[in-house]
Amino acid sequence: MKRVWARWVVLAAIILGLFLFTGFFGIGLGIKPIMPHVYLPGEKLSETPLFGIAGLYPTNTLVGLLLADIVVILIAIGVSRGVKSGKTVLTGISGAVEALLEMLHGITEGTAGKWTKQIFPWFATITLLVLAANWSGLIPGNETVGLIHHYDHGYDLKQVGPITTIWDEGTDDGEHHGEYAIVPFLRPVSTDLNFTFALAIVAVVMIQVFGFRSQGLGYLTKFWNTKTLFSKPIFGVIDFGVGILELVSEISKVLSFAFRLFGNMFAGAVLLFVIGSLVPVFAQSMFYLLEFFIGLIQAIVFGMLTMVFMSQATQGHGEHHEEAH
Amino acid sequence: MEAEAAKLIGAGLAMIGAIGAGAGIGVVTSGAVQAMSRNPEMTGTIQTNMILGIAFAEAVAIYCLVVSLLILFVF
Repeated sequence: MKRVWARWVVLAAIILGLFLFTGFFGIGLGIKPIMPHVYLPGEKLSETPLFGIAGLYPTNTLVGLLLADIVVILIAIGVSRGVKSGKTVLTGISGAVEALLEMLHGITEGTAGKWTKQIFPWFATITLLVLAANWSGLIPGNETVGLIHHYDHGYDLKQVGPITTIWDEGTDDGEHHGEYAIVPFLRPVSTDLNFTFALAIVAVVMIQVFGFRSQGLGYLTKFWNTKTLFSKPIFGVIDFGVGILELVSEISKVLSFAFRLFGNMFAGAVLLFVIGSLVPVFAQSMFYLLEFFIGLIQAIVFGMLTMVFMSQATQGHGEHHEEAH
Repeated sequence: MEAEAAKLIGAGLAMIGAIGAGAGIGVVTSGAVQAMSRNPEMTGTIQTNMILGIAFAEAVAIYCLVVSLLILFVF
């Protein structure tokens, strides 16, 4: 036990030393931290459209999506191999995935009741995919390694050994006059509005599908509620108005799903850049940890909101309202 | 006023909306923690609902953030 403790201290000292060394080394050599230019849509890696379809360019967020997909598929293969091996206690990654899925299944059972079996796959799939997409933004080299292209308000070029990099030759007045910027090869796909909107539309459409599956065409009375329009003088009109509002809220669900994930992840990426350009040593590590946490929270929130809305759609709002009045 | 300066001021002003979300998240969490301390058996359910409430309150701040980012980097 004592030896393990000593090993941690030595490791921490080595990492601290490396931090300080690179920090002072960089200052000594006159390397200035760089604030890369922030670009909201996914950047194009090539100007030729994919498969000859106009407007479909290979962007770096597309590479991020492929990476996230591959990770999810590899996890699936690993877990199924672990399950087939016949061990009662799964170890390693499949054990971790089992713990996560068990937690998600517990939450689903508490909310969805008898629809757990139908709703849980959506919850788990969305959570795993978004989690892989969010955490792919934490891989070192992501958003910093890429193609150099021409950009008017960029930095200068410099050859460091075998690597060509952008370099701030900056004058003292803070102006830089270089003309180059980097288009990274890889960018987490959740910083692309196209991905979050697609996922949000899939989620909201499936919420309606679950409503129809559980209540048939009666689900439509949630939006066009004329049942009580003539039997109850004032509350009938209110019920009708609430139905119209429900329709609006379904549309705003798409917006809030998409912008919540996109806003959190894009702001996180920009935050890491800004902190890195202000304090090149130490400070970024803390925000890196914060991003790790936010990536997990946002993935679970996206999946959990989908799950809760789905189970609300299966429960039938109309009946509850009548009991309440 | 220069357009660039107006953009920066506008992006800053857009984030004022985060005040409400911060207050909202505080209210939600304080209520949830009180409920959990009074009734520890219900912790799981309360936590689920708390995270949902936080997500809804936070969405407003995220809209502000998106508007601010759009002003800064798109327009």
